[in-house]
Amino acid sequence: MNEHAITLSIPPEKRFHGVARLVVGGLAARLDLSYEHLEDLQLALASVLERDGYLTGPHVTVRLSVNPESVGMVIGPLDSELRSELESEEGDSISLRRLLSTLVETVAVEAGEGGDWLTLDKRVPLKSPAER
Amino acid sequence: MSVPPEKTDRELLRRYHERGDLEARERLIEQYLPLVRSLARRYSYRGEQHEDLVQVGCIGLIKAIDRFDIERGVELTTYATPNIIGEIKRHFRDKGWSVRVPRGLQELNVRLSHLLEQLTVQLERSPTIAELAKAADVEEEEVLEALESGQAYATLSLSAPSGGGDESSDLDPLESLGEIEHEYEVSEDRAVLAPGLATLDERERRILHLRFFEGLTQSQIAQQVGISQMHVSRLIRRSLEKLREEIATEQPLNRRAS
Repeated sequence: MNEHAITLSIPPEKRFHGVARLVVGGLAARLDLSYEHLEDLQLALASVLERDGYLTGPHVTVRLSVNPESVGMVIGPLDSELRSELESEEGDSISLRRLLSTLVETVAVEAGEGGDWLTLDKRVPLKSPAER
Repeated sequence: MSVPPEKTDRELLRRYHERGDLEARERLIEQYLPLVRSLARRYSYRGEQHEDLVQVGCIGLIKAIDRFDIERGVELTTYATPNIIGEIKRHFRDKGWSVRVPRGLQELNVRLSHLLEQLTVQLERSPTIAELAKAADVEEEEVLEALESGQAYATLSLSAPSGGGDESSDLDPLESLGEIEHEYEVSEDRAVLAPGLATLDERERRILHLRFFEGLTQSQIAQQVGISQMHVSRLIRRSLEKLREEIATEQPLNRRAS
């Protein structure tokens, strides 16, 4: 397990989304991220959580990790429809794919426990632990 | 010979203020009810009953009558109008925030919105949470809570038609909206034709286009559109929510059709 990782499991209900956003906010504050980077991470997370159809399990897990040059976010388990939406042609609409690829650098889906798991990775300027 | 209304007003106000004549106060309220109705109509929002706004406006009128200083030489209409509008705006503000959000957090959210602008200019980059906390003289957690409370803020709709035309911008309790640059040709934006986007207004479409098609940051959009970063953030979230709702409505129909 990553030394700097936070795992949160919440019921798939809108009223708990704020809890997940606050956890992302707390991590962003600890890492001294800018307001805009925090906004991007929170919006990416909300974009997935708020599509009720994707949340299949009794809980949704959000795993945050701090990498040398980025913040990672893994969300799951999710319905397979998410994968097909991410793989579909972009077109002119604001698809989930367009949205996520604007907000973060890496978007990937992998099969995992209970369904698909979405991996997002956002490159952020991180100070060394000593500087923080 | 008819008596000019201002003379009648002054007489009624004098009777009420000097002799405590409540009947005179009632007559003044009745006389100014058409003004309240007319102002309420300008603020009749989607989902907000006109009569409810008239009731709210009446509170403003009564306050104006009660506080009116007959020695000041201004007309009651002049004094009452901002009082009535103020009461209606307060109503929207109070209703717009989730009841669970304490006023202190609402106020901090407003302060943070201004500080965000100032610090972005001063630092020439987006500030960190720590920098916002320091500038606001609060703890980082309070900043996060206040920012989160901004998510709970749900005005009836900042972009909903107000029925009165040009004053809808006044209804944002957090800040004034900037002017929309109308030279932006939405018709040339192909994204407008995409499903769901038709439900958004011109400014919402423009902001989404700048963010997700042009790749501009929130602060760059804020500068272009002439509104604050936090307002851009709220509009993006609200627009995406509208799109999600629209898509959710369309999907079952499409599935049935296919």
